[in-house]
Amino acid sequence: MVADNVSFTRALVATNFKATVALRGAFVIQVVFMALNNFTFFIFWWALMQHVTTLRGWQLGDIQMLFGMVAAAFGLTVTVAGGVRHLGRFIEDGDLDTLLTQPKPVLVNALGLRSQPSGFGDLVSGLIFIVWSGQISWSRLPIVVVVIAASAVIFVACGTVFFSLAFWLGRVETVATQLWELLVTFSLYPEPLFGGTLRLLLFTVLPAGFVGYLPVRILRAPSLANVTILMFVATGYLCLAVLIFNRGLRRYGSGSRFTTFG
Amino acid sequence: MPRAAAVELDQLSKSFRVRRARSTGVAARLRDLFSGETQTVCAVDKLSFSIAPGERVAFIGPNGAGKSTTLKMLAGILQPDAGDVRVLGLVPSRQRRQLAFQIGTVFGQRSQLWYQLPPRDTFELLGRVYEVDAPEHRRRIDALSSVFDLGTLVNTPVRHLSLGERMRCEIVASLLHSPRMLFLDEPTIGLDVSAKATIRELLWTQSEQERVTLLLTSHDTGDMERVCTRAIVINHGRLLWDGPIAALRRSYLKAKRVTLWSEAEHLELTLPGVRVLSSGAYRTELEIALEITPLGQVVDAALRQTAIRDMAIEDAPLDEVIRALYATAATGSVPS
Amino acid sequence: MSAGTIAKYAAFSRISATQAGRERNELYGRMAFFAVILGVFSSLWRAVAEAGMPVAADPKSLVWYLAATEWILLSAPPIHLEIQEAIRRGDVVYRLGHPASYVLAEFATGFGLLAVRAPFLGLTAFLCAFAFTGWTPPLSALLIVVPFGFVASTVITALYLGIGLLAFWLQDVAPVYWVWQKLMFVLGGLMLPLELYPAFIQRAAAFTPFPSLLAAPASVVLGTNAVTPGALARNLVIWSGVTAIAVSWMFRRAVSTVTINGG
Repeated sequence: MVADNVSFTRALVATNFKATVALRGAFVIQVVFMALNNFTFFIFWWALMQHVTTLRGWQLGDIQMLFGMVAAAFGLTVTVAGGVRHLGRFIEDGDLDTLLTQPKPVLVNALGLRSQPSGFGDLVSGLIFIVWSGQISWSRLPIVVVVIAASAVIFVACGTVFFSLAFWLGRVETVATQLWELLVTFSLYPEPLFGGTLRLLLFTVLPAGFVGYLPVRILRAPSLANVTILMFVATGYLCLAVLIFNRGLRRYGSGSRFTTFG
Repeated sequence: MPRAAAVELDQLSKSFRVRRARSTGVAARLRDLFSGETQTVCAVDKLSFSIAPGERVAFIGPNGAGKSTTLKMLAGILQPDAGDVRVLGLVPSRQRRQLAFQIGTVFGQRSQLWYQLPPRDTFELLGRVYEVDAPEHRRRIDALSSVFDLGTLVNTPVRHLSLGERMRCEIVASLLHSPRMLFLDEPTIGLDVSAKATIRELLWTQSEQERVTLLLTSHDTGDMERVCTRAIVINHGRLLWDGPIAALRRSYLKAKRVTLWSEAEHLELTLPGVRVLSSGAYRTELEIALEITPLGQVVDAALRQTAIRDMAIEDAPLDEVIRALYATAATGSVPS
Repeated sequence: MSAGTIAKYAAFSRISATQAGRERNELYGRMAFFAVILGVFSSLWRAVAEAGMPVAADPKSLVWYLAATEWILLSAPPIHLEIQEAIRRGDVVYRLGHPASYVLAEFATGFGLLAVRAPFLGLTAFLCAFAFTGWTPPLSALLIVVPFGFVASTVITALYLGIGLLAFWLQDVAPVYWVWQKLMFVLGGLMLPLELYPAFIQRAAAFTPFPSLLAAPASVVLGTNAVTPGALARNLVIWSGVTAIAVSWMFRRAVSTVTINGG
């Protein structure tokens, strides 16, 4: 049973990847431009940090590491689980029908449907940023991998929750995308910029703290406690997402609920 | 032990809550969610019937009759509100995954093929989905590909396939795991005449050879006549008629359509139960209610006026039979 | 242009403005995003100020600077997407038979959207920047930023139109849009005034329209008096002219290719 599901997931990811690179020209352009996009954005930090050497204790290298971590985790999310950004539309338009007639977990199946080519650009540029930050020694590679994977899991879980609102609310595309982008935006800026109630928000509803800040803290000074917390949190968000999605699935109307039926 | 039915419905019901159209914007929608300003529309209303293994059944009804909704409940996609469903002895809403291994589905309006990839990739992924072991799965792909005459199509990206070719691949995809039951929702929608004919023939042979139980919805009476032996007609979520397709014709077809090509330019036929549908030069088209005036009398009457060069006798098209069925249902008298 | 012609294109603007008024969700999305960005940057500039402000400008005026650049950029509707779709579907060919210029009609449509967005986003910019800084730039500065910014946003809309027209030759104009966006980001001084960039970037920027469209009008709120209204006006006139000529030339080239090759 478990072995079958693992082999299915592996086949799904492979098929997804194959479909993404099928249009080679478009794929290459997307990857290159996304990487270029990230580097251009970083010119801002680079120019600013020429004038200010530390920002509440953060130096350019730290910002680079944060940027790299988040870009890599985000890239991993949208390459492996690109369907997350389309969940709202799948739910709304009844695109889960086919998946529901297959004997595999619907969420896994739906997440693995659409890989975003640009994600590879994020992933690659993210890794370059991490290496370039000069703060990571090769011996810490396993931690880097674990931390990126954990933060990708949190991204997937949050996206699933945001877009699953469609089970209850119908057209949530704009709002859910907005929430998802807010999460990404906040996670790209240094932690000490935010305080007060916003901080509470950033460690709960929009867990930028867990996809960005905690991973950077772990990479700067690895501690078993923080790694454990991160793993625990990632598992928690994932369970919550699965729970909410499956709850919603019971209300699934196969595209009929808000329009007509036949 | 009596053989279990392939499909068994007992008083199955499902309604949808449809929101008022005025709600645009998330705030308004949130308000609606809590204010409960919704309208309940009953899609399936205490529907009961059963299908024996190996039967090929056409599921007929006008738009919005509840066909797709019923089909989706049978396939485990939608949860019924009330009543019982059993498909191959399983309860779809509770045993969705077990059931999934034994049924195949084709939704004419949705694709399960990966658009950018050749069908073969989807077929192989489906092997993992249905946990079929690899060599056996490959044999099955080859066998079905040759039955459905896919040839090089298996290796052509789906985006380059015509609709008819794609539909053949969709059906192969749904048969790969050798399901005992196949649900098809509008499998020939949008296809041209020859593609339709191919699909019908393949469905018929395949179900005949592998004893697959078929349940298909369609607007096209050709699908029903060429593939199915039994029809279940519903409207407003309720059963209107259930029986062999031939009987459907007989019970509603008390009329024949006769075309006469005559020596004389015009024919004058005024007999009870005979209606002239069209009359042109040397050609007259009639509808004859047989229980009022037998066919022979009409022909005799015609021969008394002129010589007949040719004659064609047809049943009214099934389309009309079904339209008549809906019409009588609306007036409340449904013979069965 | 006769009064009748103007009325004709004004009708395009009106209808798209009405449409935009109906479909508010996207606009609300942009407003929310705008508010968040201003919030994040007001914290950022406060932190920068603690570390020692690099330019004479204080953190408050930098928040207002960002409010101005983002207002100009976000107000311009990304009409290149729809134009690309229309070209791909081949709709443009049919539009050529209408007694209205396709380019002018699309521009008028875009302008209609802009006219709805600009006030909403402007209000968001003003309220958020005021809420985060507790300060407003002098009225004289705002009186310069608003009209010049609006004109700049109009020019940006026309440039999007030009990017959309590239679909006659390119399969996908998205990469061009991305490059444009990045150039706008750096050379236009979107988040950081150009003076804070290294000299070579500043020199490169001087040859492009980007500083005139974003940094120059926005920098009025910094109170550095780097640009005079006269210079602003001159630059905007030059770049509007260049844009107009380029777009109409492109369209004429495109039409001749389409009519010869039959779309």
